[in-house]
Amino acid sequence: MVRLSSFLLKTYHGGHIVIRLAMAGHKQSNRPFYRVVAAYNKRARDSKYIEQLGSYDPLPNIYNEKLVSFNSDRIKYWMGCGAHPTKPVAKLLGLAGFFPLHPMTVTEAERRRALVELAEGAAPEEVDKQQEL
Amino acid sequence: MAARCLFRSYSRVKNVDQNTRILVRCSRRMLCSVPSDSSSPDAHVKPQFMDAEVQDILTRIAGLDLEKVFRPIKQELKPPTYKLMTDAQLEEAIQSAREQAQRLLKMPPVLPERKPINDVLSEDKILEGMDTAKYVFTDITFNIPHRERFIVIREPTGTLRKASWEERDRILQVYFPKGARRLTAPPVFQEESLKVVFGQDRHEDVLDLCQVQFEPDSSEYIRVHAATYEDLEKMGKYDLLRSTRHFGGLVWYLVNARRVDGLIIDMLQEDLLQDAVSLVGLFNKVHPNSEIAQEASSQQASGLDLLKIYAKRESQRAGYIELALQAYEQTSAESSV
Repeated sequence: MVRLSSFLLKTYHGGHIVIRLAMAGHKQSNRPFYRVVAAYNKRARDSKYIEQLGSYDPLPNIYNEKLVSFNSDRIKYWMGCGAHPTKPVAKLLGLAGFFPLHPMTVTEAERRRALVELAEGAAPEEVDKQQEL
Repeated sequence: MAARCLFRSYSRVKNVDQNTRILVRCSRRMLCSVPSDSSSPDAHVKPQFMDAEVQDILTRIAGLDLEKVFRPIKQELKPPTYKLMTDAQLEEAIQSAREQAQRLLKMPPVLPERKPINDVLSEDKILEGMDTAKYVFTDITFNIPHRERFIVIREPTGTLRKASWEERDRILQVYFPKGARRLTAPPVFQEESLKVVFGQDRHEDVLDLCQVQFEPDSSEYIRVHAATYEDLEKMGKYDLLRSTRHFGGLVWYLVNARRVDGLIIDMLQEDLLQDAVSLVGLFNKVHPNSEIAQEASSQQASGLDLLKIYAKRESQRAGYIELALQAYEQTSAESSV
Protein backbone atom coordinates (compact mmCIF):
# COMPACT_ATOMS: atom_id res chain seq x y z
CA MET A 1 0.00 0.00 0.00
CA VAL A 2 1.36 3.41 -0.90
CA ARG A 3 1.85 5.43 2.26
CA LEU A 4 1.50 9.08 1.42
CA SER A 5 3.12 11.20 4.05
CA SER A 6 3.54 14.90 3.69
CA PHE A 7 6.76 16.75 4.15
CA LEU A 8 5.53 18.05 7.49
CA LEU A 9 5.49 14.58 9.04
CA LYS A 10 8.99 13.52 8.09
CA THR A 11 10.27 14.42 11.57
CA TYR A 12 9.08 11.08 12.93
CA HIS A 13 10.82 7.76 12.54
CA GLY A 14 9.04 6.33 9.51
CA GLY A 15 5.54 5.69 10.77
CA HIS A 16 2.59 7.75 9.62
CA ILE A 17 -0.24 9.51 11.35
CA VAL A 18 -3.63 7.91 11.67
CA ILE A 19 -7.00 9.17 12.83
CA ARG A 20 -8.42 6.33 14.89
CA LEU A 21 -10.57 5.48 17.90
CA ALA A 22 -8.76 5.13 21.20
CA MET A 23 -10.52 3.72 24.25
CA ALA A 24 -10.80 6.29 27.00
CA GLY A 25 -11.53 5.60 30.64
CA HIS A 26 -10.24 2.46 32.33
CA LYS A 27 -10.45 -1.08 31.04
CA GLN A 28 -11.93 -2.40 34.28
CA SER A 29 -15.16 -0.46 33.98
CA ASN A 30 -17.12 -2.51 31.37
CA ARG A 31 -18.27 0.72 29.81
CA PRO A 32 -16.53 1.56 26.54
CA PHE A 33 -16.03 5.14 25.41
CA TYR A 34 -13.85 6.08 22.46
CA ARG A 35 -11.97 9.21 21.54
CA VAL A 36 -11.37 10.13 17.92
CA VAL A 37 -7.66 10.81 17.99
CA ALA A 38 -4.77 11.73 15.69
CA ALA A 39 -1.82 9.54 16.70
CA TYR A 40 1.26 7.89 15.23
CA ASN A 41 0.59 4.52 13.73
CA LYS A 42 3.08 2.52 15.80
CA ARG A 43 1.89 3.75 19.20
CA ALA A 44 -0.33 1.64 21.43
CA ARG A 45 -4.04 2.22 20.94
CA ASP A 46 -4.65 4.07 24.19
CA SER A 47 -1.29 5.68 24.79
CA LYS A 48 -0.02 9.15 24.00
CA TYR A 49 -1.74 10.76 21.02
CA ILE A 50 -1.01 13.96 19.14
CA GLU A 51 -4.43 15.59 19.35
CA GLN A 52 -7.95 14.60 20.30
CA LEU A 53 -10.38 15.32 17.50
CA GLY A 54 -13.67 14.13 18.98
CA SER A 55 -15.45 11.38 20.85
CA TYR A 56 -17.74 8.41 20.23
CA ASP A 57 -20.05 6.84 22.78
CA PRO A 58 -21.11 3.38 21.54
CA LEU A 59 -23.84 2.87 24.16
CA PRO A 60 -27.14 4.64 23.39
CA ASN A 61 -28.52 7.10 25.96
CA ILE A 62 -32.09 7.47 27.29
CA TYR A 63 -33.16 9.11 24.03
CA ASN A 64 -31.71 6.14 22.10
CA GLU A 65 -28.94 8.25 20.60
CA LYS A 66 -25.26 7.42 20.17
CA LEU A 67 -23.37 10.69 20.57
CA VAL A 68 -20.49 11.30 18.20
CA SER A 69 -18.55 14.54 18.06
CA PHE A 70 -15.75 15.53 15.71
CA ASN A 71 -13.74 18.70 15.22
CA SER A 72 -14.13 19.11 11.47
CA ASP A 73 -11.61 21.93 11.30
CA ARG A 74 -8.77 19.89 12.79
CA ILE A 75 -9.73 16.71 10.95
CA LYS A 76 -9.40 18.64 7.71
CA TYR A 77 -6.00 19.86 8.85
CA TRP A 78 -4.67 16.40 9.67
CA MET A 79 -6.12 14.92 6.49
CA GLY A 80 -4.35 17.70 4.68
CA CYS A 81 -1.12 16.75 6.43
CA GLY A 82 -1.51 13.19 5.17
CA ALA A 83 -3.16 11.34 8.05
CA HIS A 84 -5.10 8.15 7.25
CA PRO A 85 -8.45 7.47 8.89
CA THR A 86 -9.05 3.89 10.01
CA LYS A 87 -12.06 1.87 8.94
CA PRO A 88 -14.33 2.60 11.94
CA VAL A 89 -13.52 6.33 11.80
CA ALA A 90 -14.19 6.35 8.06
CA LYS A 91 -17.52 4.59 8.64
CA LEU A 92 -18.57 7.05 11.33
CA LEU A 93 -17.62 10.07 9.25
CA GLY A 94 -19.39 8.54 6.26
CA LEU A 95 -22.55 8.15 8.30
CA ALA A 96 -22.18 11.78 9.39
CA GLY A 97 -22.00 13.02 5.84
CA PHE A 98 -18.51 14.40 6.29
CA PHE A 99 -17.03 11.67 4.05
CA PRO A 100 -18.92 9.82 1.36
CA LEU A 101 -20.63 6.64 2.60
CA HIS A 102 -18.31 3.74 3.33
CA PRO A 103 -19.19 0.67 1.23
CA MET A 104 -18.93 -1.62 4.28
CA THR A 105 -21.72 0.33 5.99
CA VAL A 106 -24.02 -0.56 3.12
CA THR A 107 -22.87 -4.20 3.19
CA GLU A 108 -23.43 -4.42 6.94
CA ALA A 109 -26.91 -2.96 6.61
CA GLU A 110 -27.75 -5.52 3.90
CA ARG A 111 -26.37 -8.37 6.02
CA ARG A 112 -28.42 -7.26 9.01
CA ARG A 113 -31.57 -7.07 6.97
CA ALA A 114 -30.90 -10.58 5.64
CA LEU A 115 -30.46 -11.83 9.22
CA VAL A 116 -33.71 -10.19 10.30
CA GLU A 117 -35.55 -11.77 7.40
CA LEU A 118 -34.08 -15.16 8.24
CA ALA A 119 -35.19 -14.79 11.84
CA GLU A 120 -38.70 -13.79 10.77
CA GLY A 121 -38.79 -16.67 8.32
CA ALA A 122 -37.67 -19.09 11.06
CA ALA A 123 -40.06 -17.79 13.78
CA PRO A 124 -43.38 -18.36 11.91
CA GLU A 125 -42.14 -21.85 10.96
CA GLU A 126 -41.45 -22.65 14.62
CA VAL A 127 -44.86 -21.36 15.65
CA ASP A 128 -46.49 -23.56 12.97
CA LYS A 129 -44.53 -26.62 14.13
CA GLN A 130 -45.55 -26.08 17.76
CA GLN A 131 -49.17 -25.73 16.74
CA GLU A 132 -48.98 -28.99 14.75
CA LEU A 133 -47.42 -30.75 17.76
CA MET B 1 -29.45 17.46 -4.68
CA ALA B 2 -26.14 19.31 -4.65
CA ALA B 3 -25.14 17.51 -1.46
CA ARG B 4 -25.78 14.06 -2.98
CA CYS B 5 -23.67 14.86 -6.05
CA LEU B 6 -20.82 15.87 -3.80
CA PHE B 7 -20.95 12.71 -1.74
CA ARG B 8 -20.95 10.41 -4.77
CA SER B 9 -17.34 11.31 -5.56
CA TYR B 10 -15.17 8.54 -4.12
CA SER B 11 -11.85 10.23 -4.60
CA ARG B 12 -12.19 11.46 -1.11
CA VAL B 13 -8.57 12.27 -0.30
CA LYS B 14 -8.56 14.81 -3.11
CA ASN B 15 -11.98 16.25 -2.65
CA VAL B 16 -12.73 16.04 1.05
CA ASP B 17 -11.71 19.64 1.69
CA GLN B 18 -13.74 20.95 -1.22
CA ASN B 19 -16.78 18.90 -0.24
CA THR B 20 -16.81 20.06 3.34
CA ARG B 21 -16.17 23.65 2.40
CA ILE B 22 -19.00 23.66 -0.14
CA LEU B 23 -21.28 21.86 2.35
CA VAL B 24 -20.43 24.43 5.02
CA ARG B 25 -21.04 27.31 2.64
CA CYS B 26 -24.38 25.92 1.40
CA SER B 27 -25.64 25.18 4.87
CA ARG B 28 -24.41 28.45 6.26
CA ARG B 29 -26.36 30.26 3.58
CA MET B 30 -29.45 28.14 4.33
CA LEU B 31 -29.15 28.75 8.04
CA CYS B 32 -28.61 32.49 7.73
CA SER B 33 -31.34 33.29 5.20
CA VAL B 34 -34.24 34.83 7.15
CA PRO B 35 -37.13 35.95 4.95
CA SER B 36 -37.68 39.65 5.49
CA ASP B 37 -41.39 40.33 5.84
CA SER B 38 -41.93 43.38 3.68
CA SER B 39 -45.38 42.22 2.67
CA SER B 40 -47.37 44.67 4.84
CA PRO B 41 -49.08 47.20 2.59
CA ASP B 42 -49.10 50.15 5.02
CA ALA B 43 -46.04 52.33 5.12
CA HIS B 44 -45.22 52.34 8.84
CA VAL B 45 -42.74 49.85 10.30
CA LYS B 46 -43.97 48.30 13.55
CA PRO B 47 -41.64 49.36 16.36
CA GLN B 48 -39.62 46.38 17.55
CA PHE B 49 -38.59 45.58 21.10
CA MET B 50 -34.96 46.49 20.44
CA ASP B 51 -35.58 50.00 19.00
CA ALA B 52 -33.69 52.71 20.85
CA GLU B 53 -36.80 54.78 21.67
CA VAL B 54 -38.75 51.76 22.90
CA GLN B 55 -35.86 50.60 25.07
CA ASP B 56 -35.50 54.13 26.44
CA ILE B 57 -39.15 54.32 27.46
CA LEU B 58 -39.06 50.84 28.96
CA THR B 59 -35.92 51.51 31.03
CA ARG B 60 -37.45 54.70 32.36
CA ILE B 61 -40.66 52.94 33.34
CA ALA B 62 -38.82 50.02 34.94
CA GLY B 63 -37.33 52.26 37.59
CA LEU B 64 -34.00 52.01 39.36
CA ASP B 65 -34.56 51.10 42.99
CA LEU B 66 -31.03 50.47 44.26
CA GLU B 67 -32.27 48.82 47.44
CA LYS B 68 -34.17 46.21 45.48
CA VAL B 69 -31.54 45.59 42.79
CA PHE B 70 -28.78 44.92 45.29
CA ARG B 71 -30.83 43.08 47.85
CA PRO B 72 -29.04 40.00 49.19
CA ILE B 73 -29.13 37.12 46.69
CA LYS B 74 -28.32 33.60 47.74
CA GLN B 75 -24.56 33.32 47.50
CA GLU B 76 -21.91 31.84 49.71
CA LEU B 77 -21.43 33.62 53.01
CA LYS B 78 -18.56 36.07 53.18
CA PRO B 79 -17.92 38.32 56.18
CA PRO B 80 -18.85 41.92 55.27
CA THR B 81 -16.09 44.41 54.40
CA TYR B 82 -16.12 47.88 55.90
CA LYS B 83 -14.45 50.85 54.21
CA LEU B 84 -13.76 54.33 55.56
CA MET B 85 -14.66 56.94 52.94
CA THR B 86 -14.98 60.67 52.59
CA ASP B 87 -18.22 62.16 51.27
CA ALA B 88 -16.78 62.52 47.76
CA GLN B 89 -15.69 58.89 47.69
CA LEU B 90 -19.13 57.87 48.91
CA GLU B 91 -20.68 59.79 46.02
CA GLU B 92 -18.37 58.01 43.59
CA ALA B 93 -19.22 54.64 45.10
CA ILE B 94 -22.95 55.36 44.77
CA GLN B 95 -22.41 56.44 41.16
CA SER B 96 -20.55 53.26 40.26
CA ALA B 97 -23.25 51.25 42.05
CA ARG B 98 -25.83 53.01 39.88
CA GLU B 99 -23.94 52.10 36.72
CA GLN B 100 -23.65 48.49 37.81
CA ALA B 101 -27.37 48.44 38.58
CA GLN B 102 -28.04 49.68 35.05
CA ARG B 103 -25.94 46.88 33.64
CA LEU B 104 -27.74 44.34 35.83
CA LEU B 105 -31.04 45.74 34.62
CA LYS B 106 -30.21 45.11 30.95
CA MET B 107 -33.37 43.66 29.45
CA PRO B 108 -33.34 40.14 28.05
CA PRO B 109 -34.40 40.13 24.38
CA VAL B 110 -37.95 39.44 23.28
CA LEU B 111 -37.81 37.46 20.05
CA PRO B 112 -40.49 35.85 17.90
CA GLU B 113 -40.80 32.11 18.27
CA ARG B 114 -38.24 30.15 16.28
CA LYS B 115 -39.44 28.14 13.32
CA PRO B 116 -38.87 24.37 13.60
CA ILE B 117 -36.03 22.84 11.57
CA ASN B 118 -37.20 20.17 9.16
CA ASP B 119 -34.16 19.86 6.96
CA VAL B 120 -33.30 16.46 5.53
CA LEU B 121 -29.77 16.34 4.16
CA SER B 122 -29.95 12.92 2.51
CA GLU B 123 -32.24 9.90 2.28
CA ASP B 124 -30.34 6.64 2.00
CA LYS B 125 -32.76 3.73 1.77
CA ILE B 126 -29.84 1.30 1.35
CA LEU B 127 -28.84 1.94 4.98
CA GLU B 128 -32.18 0.91 6.44
CA GLY B 129 -31.88 -1.38 9.45
CA MET B 130 -28.17 -0.72 9.97
CA ASP B 131 -28.60 -0.04 13.68
CA THR B 132 -31.29 0.25 16.32
CA ALA B 133 -30.09 3.59 17.71
CA LYS B 134 -29.76 7.03 16.15
CA TYR B 135 -26.33 8.54 15.61
CA VAL B 136 -25.98 12.20 16.59
CA PHE B 137 -23.01 13.93 14.99
CA THR B 138 -21.85 17.25 16.41
CA ASP B 139 -19.20 19.50 14.99
CA ILE B 140 -17.09 20.68 17.91
CA THR B 141 -14.96 23.23 16.07
CA PHE B 142 -14.24 25.97 18.52
CA ASN B 143 -14.81 29.19 16.65
CA ILE B 144 -18.32 28.74 15.27
CA PRO B 145 -21.28 30.42 16.99
CA HIS B 146 -23.68 27.85 18.42
CA ARG B 147 -26.49 28.85 16.07
CA GLU B 148 -24.44 27.88 13.01
CA ARG B 149 -23.02 24.66 14.39
CA PHE B 150 -23.71 21.39 12.57
CA ILE B 151 -25.73 18.89 14.57
CA VAL B 152 -27.01 16.14 12.29
CA ILE B 153 -28.79 12.90 13.14
CA ARG B 154 -28.63 9.65 11.18
CA GLU B 155 -31.83 7.72 11.86
CA PRO B 156 -32.00 3.89 11.76
CA THR B 157 -34.05 4.27 8.59
CA GLY B 158 -31.06 5.86 6.90
CA THR B 159 -32.19 9.50 6.65
CA LEU B 160 -29.64 12.12 7.55
CA ARG B 161 -31.47 15.10 9.01
CA LYS B 162 -30.62 18.22 10.97
CA ALA B 163 -31.40 18.10 14.68
CA SER B 164 -34.50 19.91 15.93
CA TRP B 165 -34.16 22.92 18.23
CA GLU B 166 -34.79 20.98 21.45
CA GLU B 167 -32.23 18.32 20.48
CA ARG B 168 -29.76 21.06 19.57
CA ASP B 169 -30.15 22.74 22.96
CA ARG B 170 -29.63 19.46 24.79
CA ILE B 171 -26.57 18.41 22.78
CA LEU B 172 -24.95 21.82 22.94
CA GLN B 173 -25.38 21.62 26.70
CA VAL B 174 -23.56 18.24 26.66
CA TYR B 175 -20.55 19.45 24.70
CA PHE B 176 -20.50 23.13 25.67
CA PRO B 177 -22.07 23.28 29.12
CA LYS B 178 -23.41 26.64 30.21
CA GLY B 179 -23.26 27.46 33.92
CA ALA B 180 -26.46 26.57 35.67
CA ARG B 181 -28.30 25.17 32.66
CA ARG B 182 -29.55 21.60 33.09
CA LEU B 183 -29.93 18.89 30.46
CA THR B 184 -33.63 18.37 31.18
CA ALA B 185 -35.86 21.28 32.17
CA PRO B 186 -36.56 21.45 35.92
CA PRO B 187 -40.16 20.44 36.79
CA VAL B 188 -40.92 24.01 37.95
CA PHE B 189 -41.93 24.88 34.42
CA GLN B 190 -44.95 22.58 34.29
CA GLU B 191 -48.37 24.16 34.65
CA GLU B 192 -49.23 22.96 38.16
CA SER B 193 -45.82 23.83 39.60
CA LEU B 194 -46.01 27.29 38.03
CA LYS B 195 -49.31 27.91 39.82
CA VAL B 196 -47.77 26.89 43.14
CA VAL B 197 -44.80 29.18 42.62
CA PHE B 198 -47.03 32.10 41.62
CA GLY B 199 -48.98 31.57 44.81
CA GLN B 200 -45.72 32.09 46.67
CA ASP B 201 -45.06 35.38 44.80
CA ARG B 202 -41.79 34.12 43.26
CA HIS B 203 -42.36 35.28 39.70
CA GLU B 204 -38.94 36.84 39.50
CA ASP B 205 -37.15 33.60 40.44
CA VAL B 206 -39.15 31.70 37.84
CA LEU B 207 -38.21 34.23 35.18
CA ASP B 208 -34.53 34.12 36.15
CA LEU B 209 -34.54 30.33 36.02
CA CYS B 210 -36.28 30.42 32.65
CA GLN B 211 -33.64 32.87 31.41
CA VAL B 212 -30.87 30.47 32.39
CA GLN B 213 -32.51 27.31 31.09
CA PHE B 214 -34.05 28.20 27.73
CA GLU B 215 -33.05 30.13 24.63
CA PRO B 216 -34.96 33.43 24.20
CA ASP B 217 -36.73 32.31 21.05
CA SER B 218 -37.72 28.82 22.17
CA SER B 219 -41.39 27.97 22.63
CA GLU B 220 -40.85 26.98 26.28
CA TYR B 221 -39.36 30.37 27.13
CA ILE B 222 -42.23 32.25 25.48
CA ARG B 223 -44.84 30.01 27.13
CA VAL B 224 -43.38 30.45 30.64
CA HIS B 225 -43.03 34.18 30.21
CA ALA B 226 -46.60 34.52 28.90
CA ALA B 227 -47.93 32.50 31.84
CA THR B 228 -45.99 34.66 34.32
CA TYR B 229 -47.16 37.93 32.78
CA GLU B 230 -50.78 36.73 32.66
CA ASP B 231 -50.69 35.80 36.33
CA LEU B 232 -49.11 39.12 37.29
CA GLU B 233 -51.72 41.03 35.35
CA LYS B 234 -54.57 39.02 36.85
CA MET B 235 -53.32 39.58 40.41
CA GLY B 236 -52.17 43.13 39.80
CA LYS B 237 -48.79 42.47 41.42
CA TYR B 238 -46.74 44.64 39.08
CA ASP B 239 -44.61 45.80 41.94
CA LEU B 240 -42.86 42.42 42.16
CA LEU B 241 -41.03 43.07 38.90
CA ARG B 242 -40.74 46.81 39.20
CA SER B 243 -36.99 47.34 39.54
CA THR B 244 -35.85 44.13 37.87
CA ARG B 245 -34.77 43.46 34.31
CA HIS B 246 -38.00 41.62 33.47
CA PHE B 247 -40.21 44.69 33.77
CA GLY B 248 -39.56 45.82 30.20
CA GLY B 249 -40.68 42.45 28.88
CA LEU B 250 -43.86 42.63 30.99
CA VAL B 251 -44.71 46.11 29.68
CA TRP B 252 -44.02 45.06 26.07
CA TYR B 253 -46.29 42.01 26.43
CA LEU B 254 -49.14 44.07 27.92
CA VAL B 255 -48.82 46.81 25.31
CA ASN B 256 -48.94 44.28 22.50
CA ALA B 257 -52.00 42.67 24.07
CA ARG B 258 -53.59 46.13 24.62
CA ARG B 259 -54.31 45.48 28.29
CA VAL B 260 -52.48 48.32 29.99
CA ASP B 261 -55.32 49.35 32.32
CA GLY B 262 -54.16 47.56 35.43
CA LEU B 263 -50.61 48.83 35.00
CA ILE B 264 -51.68 52.46 34.56
CA ILE B 265 -53.87 52.30 37.65
CA ASP B 266 -51.04 50.75 39.61
CA MET B 267 -48.71 53.55 38.51
CA LEU B 268 -51.25 56.22 39.50
CA GLN B 269 -51.61 54.59 42.91
CA GLU B 270 -47.86 54.83 43.36
CA ASP B 271 -47.85 58.46 42.10
CA LEU B 272 -45.68 57.67 39.05
CA LEU B 273 -47.45 59.96 36.62
CA GLN B 274 -44.50 60.51 34.31
CA ASP B 275 -44.18 56.76 33.91
CA ALA B 276 -47.88 56.48 33.09
CA VAL B 277 -47.52 59.22 30.48
CA SER B 278 -44.55 57.52 28.83
CA LEU B 279 -46.47 54.25 28.88
CA VAL B 280 -49.35 55.81 26.94
CA GLY B 281 -46.80 57.34 24.56
CA LEU B 282 -45.31 53.87 23.95
CA PHE B 283 -48.80 52.47 23.38
CA ASN B 284 -49.41 55.14 20.74
CA LYS B 285 -46.15 54.29 19.01
CA VAL B 286 -46.85 50.57 18.87
CA HIS B 287 -50.50 50.90 17.83
CA PRO B 288 -50.59 54.03 15.68
CA ASN B 289 -53.93 53.03 14.14
CA SER B 290 -55.82 53.06 17.43
CA GLU B 291 -58.22 55.86 18.40
CA ILE B 292 -55.97 57.22 21.14
CA ALA B 293 -53.01 57.61 18.87
CA GLN B 294 -54.99 59.39 16.20
CA GLU B 295 -56.58 61.76 18.70
CA ALA B 296 -53.27 62.44 20.37
CA SER B 297 -51.55 63.23 17.09
CA SER B 298 -54.45 65.44 15.98
CA GLN B 299 -54.44 67.42 19.24
CA GLN B 300 -50.64 67.27 19.73
CA ALA B 301 -51.34 66.23 23.31
CA SER B 302 -48.64 65.54 25.85
CA GLY B 303 -48.40 64.92 29.55
CA LEU B 304 -51.65 64.65 31.47
CA ASP B 305 -53.77 65.22 28.33
CA LEU B 306 -52.52 61.90 26.98
CA LEU B 307 -53.76 60.21 30.13
CA LYS B 308 -57.13 61.94 29.82
CA ILE B 309 -57.52 60.82 26.22
CA TYR B 310 -56.57 57.29 27.23
CA ALA B 311 -59.07 57.34 30.10
CA LYS B 312 -61.84 58.52 27.77
CA ARG B 313 -61.23 56.12 24.91
CA GLU B 314 -59.57 52.88 25.65
CA SER B 315 -59.72 51.99 29.32
CA GLN B 316 -62.52 50.04 30.99
CA ARG B 317 -61.94 51.65 34.36
CA ALA B 318 -62.11 55.24 33.18
CA GLY B 319 -63.61 56.62 36.37
CA TYR B 320 -60.68 55.69 38.54
CA ILE B 321 -58.12 57.21 36.17
CA GLU B 322 -60.02 60.48 35.94
CA LEU B 323 -60.36 60.68 39.72
CA ALA B 324 -56.66 60.10 40.17
CA LEU B 325 -55.82 62.75 37.57
CA GLN B 326 -58.10 65.27 39.29
CA ALA B 327 -56.48 64.53 42.64
CA TYR B 328 -53.01 65.03 41.12
CA GLU B 329 -54.04 68.33 39.57
CA GLN B 330 -55.45 69.52 42.86
CA THR B 331 -52.29 68.66 44.78
CA SER B 332 -50.06 70.27 42.16
CA ALA B 333 -52.25 73.40 42.21
CA GLU B 334 -52.07 73.57 46.02
CA SER B 335 -48.31 73.03 46.07
CA SER B 336 -47.73 75.72 43.43
CA VAL B 337 -50.01 78.11 45.33
